[in-house]
Amino acid sequence: MTNAPTQPAAVDVARQVFQARGLTKVYGTGTAEVRALDGVNLDLPEGELVVLLGPSGSGKTTLLNMLGGLDIPTDGTLLYRDFNLAEAGEEERTLYRREHVGFVFQFYNLIPSLTARENVALITEIAPDPMSPEEALGLVQLKGRLDHFPAQLSGGEQQRVAIARAIAKRPAVLLCDEPTGALDVRTGIAVLEAIEQVNRQLGTLTVIITHNAVMADMADRVIHFSDGRVHDTQRNHRRAPVSTLRW
Amino acid sequence: MLSNLDLKLIRDLGRMKGQAVAVSLVMACGLAMLVMSRSLIRSFEETRSEYYESHRFAHLFAHLKRAPAAIAAQVAAIPGVSTVQPGISVQVTLDIPGLDEPASGLVRSLPEFAPPELNRLFLRAGDWLTPGGRGEVLVGEAFAEANQLRPGDSVTMLLNGRLQGFKIKGIVLSPEFIFESRPGAALPDNRTYGIFWMNYEPLARAFDLYGAFNHLALRLDAGAEEQGVIAAIDRLLIPYGGQGAYGRADHPSHIRLSDEIRVLATLSIGFPTVFLSVAAFMTNAMISRLLSLQREQIAILKAFGFRNGQIIAHYLKFALLLVGTAVCVGTLGGIGLGHRLVVMYRIFFRFPSLEFQLDRSTLWIALAVGTGAALVGVLGAVRRAARIPPAEAMRPEPPSSYRPSVVERTGVGNLLPNTFRISIRNLERKPMQALFTVAGLALSTGILIIPNALRDSVAEVLEFEWDVVQREDINVGLLEPWDETVIHTLRQLPGVVSIEPFRGTAVRILHGHHRRQLSLRGMASGGIHDRVVDARNREIPLPEDGLVVSSKLAEILEARPGDLLRVEVLEGRRRTFDVRLTGLSEDMAGMSARMERRALNRLLGEGDMVNGASFTVDHALWVPFLHALKRVPRVSWVAVKESLRENFRKTTAASINLIQSIYMVFAIVVAFGVVYNKARISLAERGRELATLRVIGFSEREVATVLILELVMLSAMAVPAGLLLGTGFATGIIHSVNTETVRLPLMLTAGNYTFAVLVVTVASGLSMMVVVRALRQLDLVGALKAPE
Ligand SMILES: Nc1ncnc2c1ncn2[C@@H]1O[C@H](COP(=O)(O)OP(=O)(O)OP(=O)(O)O)[C@@H](O)[C@H]1O
Ligand SMILES: [Mg+2]
Repeated sequence: MTNAPTQPAAVDVARQVFQARGLTKVYGTGTAEVRALDGVNLDLPEGELVVLLGPSGSGKTTLLNMLGGLDIPTDGTLLYRDFNLAEAGEEERTLYRREHVGFVFQFYNLIPSLTARENVALITEIAPDPMSPEEALGLVQLKGRLDHFPAQLSGGEQQRVAIARAIAKRPAVLLCDEPTGALDVRTGIAVLEAIEQVNRQLGTLTVIITHNAVMADMADRVIHFSDGRVHDTQRNHRRAPVSTLRW
Repeated sequence: MLSNLDLKLIRDLGRMKGQAVAVSLVMACGLAMLVMSRSLIRSFEETRSEYYESHRFAHLFAHLKRAPAAIAAQVAAIPGVSTVQPGISVQVTLDIPGLDEPASGLVRSLPEFAPPELNRLFLRAGDWLTPGGRGEVLVGEAFAEANQLRPGDSVTMLLNGRLQGFKIKGIVLSPEFIFESRPGAALPDNRTYGIFWMNYEPLARAFDLYGAFNHLALRLDAGAEEQGVIAAIDRLLIPYGGQGAYGRADHPSHIRLSDEIRVLATLSIGFPTVFLSVAAFMTNAMISRLLSLQREQIAILKAFGFRNGQIIAHYLKFALLLVGTAVCVGTLGGIGLGHRLVVMYRIFFRFPSLEFQLDRSTLWIALAVGTGAALVGVLGAVRRAARIPPAEAMRPEPPSSYRPSVVERTGVGNLLPNTFRISIRNLERKPMQALFTVAGLALSTGILIIPNALRDSVAEVLEFEWDVVQREDINVGLLEPWDETVIHTLRQLPGVVSIEPFRGTAVRILHGHHRRQLSLRGMASGGIHDRVVDARNREIPLPEDGLVVSSKLAEILEARPGDLLRVEVLEGRRRTFDVRLTGLSEDMAGMSARMERRALNRLLGEGDMVNGASFTVDHALWVPFLHALKRVPRVSWVAVKESLRENFRKTTAASINLIQSIYMVFAIVVAFGVVYNKARISLAERGRELATLRVIGFSEREVATVLILELVMLSAMAVPAGLLLGTGFATGIIHSVNTETVRLPLMLTAGNYTFAVLVVTVASGLSMMVVVRALRQLDLVGALKAPE
């Protein structure tokens, strides 16, 4: 693998984790053509908590999928450090996801036949330098639910298991697509707290997609998306604590 | 105009075409066999009964030594008898140019100036005999074909010691000889045995029977009591050397055809049942899976106001489309195979015309059975889905509850990787589904055992029976019983290595209310030619005063060793004696009854006589031996082992092998269908979970392992069960094709089992490859959206 991603150098704090230039994704052809991403330029530095806002259909999920190596762009470049994601093959992207990326989804996507601990262990078995499943679940305040199956957990608890599963490998980036979309306010806050804490303690670059503008206050950086383009980027000098958010 | 619901149906089918094809094909295989065998049965039964009626096939038959013509009128006066046809029936030896071995035949008389009342002939080629004509014969088609005889050719016959040349006027068929074979011989040899017809007068004069008859055929009034008439005829004919009248149930050609129909009937029930139950399993699995995937769709349809009935109808339509396809493919396949088999049966069974007749009622049965199978599959699944209130179904199905599996609770669990856990917990969570898959796989493994068991049995018969059990090269029958001096003459023939004489006599064996007419053979105990062996191939000694019969005969007579059997001798002094059944012999064709020769001769009270012998012959002197044999005037018939074996190979073996290869193809289709279907279902049910694994960093191979592990575990359970099941199937089938005419030994070889395992393994392997390919195209992004 000539193009392999490398671990970050500890000193180079300001280094960009992701650099996108003219990133374009076109679905379909002819009249059915949809430009889901239409020339996105973006730099995401180490350790930040980024919130991605935008109307439905503006291309947020598409962008996140690119960042996570699930999909490849039609045009443009996308660098993860010095690893060119836009040109990576299936095999390389699998390894990239395995070693560097943590995913959290709106519908949790836990494996129903595995307990909380085993869902996390699934990842720690294949990652190079993982924390223990217990430690990961501890980070999201789920120490008491280690041997519960997904069916025995509430939605918020399931989502926190998903976060533990995502961060147990100590990923460089944590990508969350509407992580609170299926949850009520109180549970949503608990989940966001878990994400925020992971970002703070592990220094993981975290990208959260949401429809909830209130969540912009907890971010270092807020990106407004529309029509497949970055419409506007805004920087908060101080992140509001999650517990103060209300919607 | 298609409704939108129908549109959905078509799209669903499109997405599941692989599975739909697999289910339809399995069902089609079962239906093809159903259509094929039911139609063949119908073809045979209709053709036969039409032939019997149009050509007035007799109900009863009797052989006697000689009776004046007036006796026939007395027979006709017996209550219940409607028509009597007296005639002459004699055994002759033949000299066929170009044939080394002596051929023999049966000659029947024909009334000269009117067509026969009974057993009328069908003229295939040439002409009828000239009324009052001399030196003319008609020949049965099977013999004519085997020896390439045509009208105008000539044959030489030894009639009552006098050689006479005859011109063949025509080639004919007779309802009495649909299956042409020498009486007492279960296997035909059409080259060395033929049936002929001549005008009454020349035949009668040659045998000093003018104005008399030695054979009777008769028809009964509707409702006449057959046993009563037989008893009356026997009483009347005893003074004239009557050999016992018998009905169609003892008529060799009739038995042979009935046996074939019986075998087809067994096959027409057994096989389709197995195949169609597999198809029902598969439909159920497929529909349940479709329904659980379409939970929300169903809820929405219900929320819009569709009634349960409409929704059930929707999914039933889906199933019925599969059934419709299966019925079409199955029917066409069955018709095709049926035609193929009819061509083969024409070689065995001589009808004026045997055509494939589609049994239309089978189409309805097929449709009903197929629909039934699908209905069973759909109803359970749909009822479950239709019960859900719409509001509940709108929510995504909650994660199913799991628990640690039994395997893990034994403590092995800690050693297992998590991917393995996913596999076993899945199996344990849906035990019924796992059971169904195991059952389907076991059935398809089992089905694979049957065709090879048939093939191995035929091979065993061809090799073992003919080489190890029957070691003689040729059997020779004499015209009349003779004292032992004849053996010395026969021993002088060139090339004779060993000779074993026998004494055969026509008898009727009775036990309880069961009876059978056959030839009882007296032979030396411990002979090495025609060996008498039991089921384990151990030699059975012929005791001084006991009888050994085929186990099939014992089964028919409901007799067991130790029972006393009554033997009525039908020739000579016509003695009757009781003799103990001392052993059961295993033989593969016909039915035999055997005794020690001297003991038999004592009971017959005619001194130490023989009327035939078996020979082994030096192969270098084979042709000189046959030529010399032709010149022995007392010889009535010969049976050359190699010719019989060749005939068996070309007829019975060929037909069984054709059927076995059809079943083999079907069994392979089922094996593939079941495995493929199972793999597709797991893939579809678990697509989301598998895609998630891929998203969080598992490679294709690692994800495939989860599915493969499941399939391997299921196969590990199914294959041994399947081998056991197959053993049962094969035993059942072999027993059911065992008839009075031909029986097959049950052969279950390691090779057979290995083959079945191999096919299932290859089927699994290929199905897995398809699934792994599908895994590659798994929609990773789609799996992260809301559940379907
Ligand atoms: N597989 C696909 N094929 C065709 N078009 C697609 C596909 N996936 C997404 N699109 C289109 O691309 C555009 C962007 O989709 P995307 O899912 O990124 O939007 P989003 O910003 O995440 O919206 P939402 O907030 O509703 O989730 C949409 O117009 C969508 O219809
Ligand atoms: Mg989205």
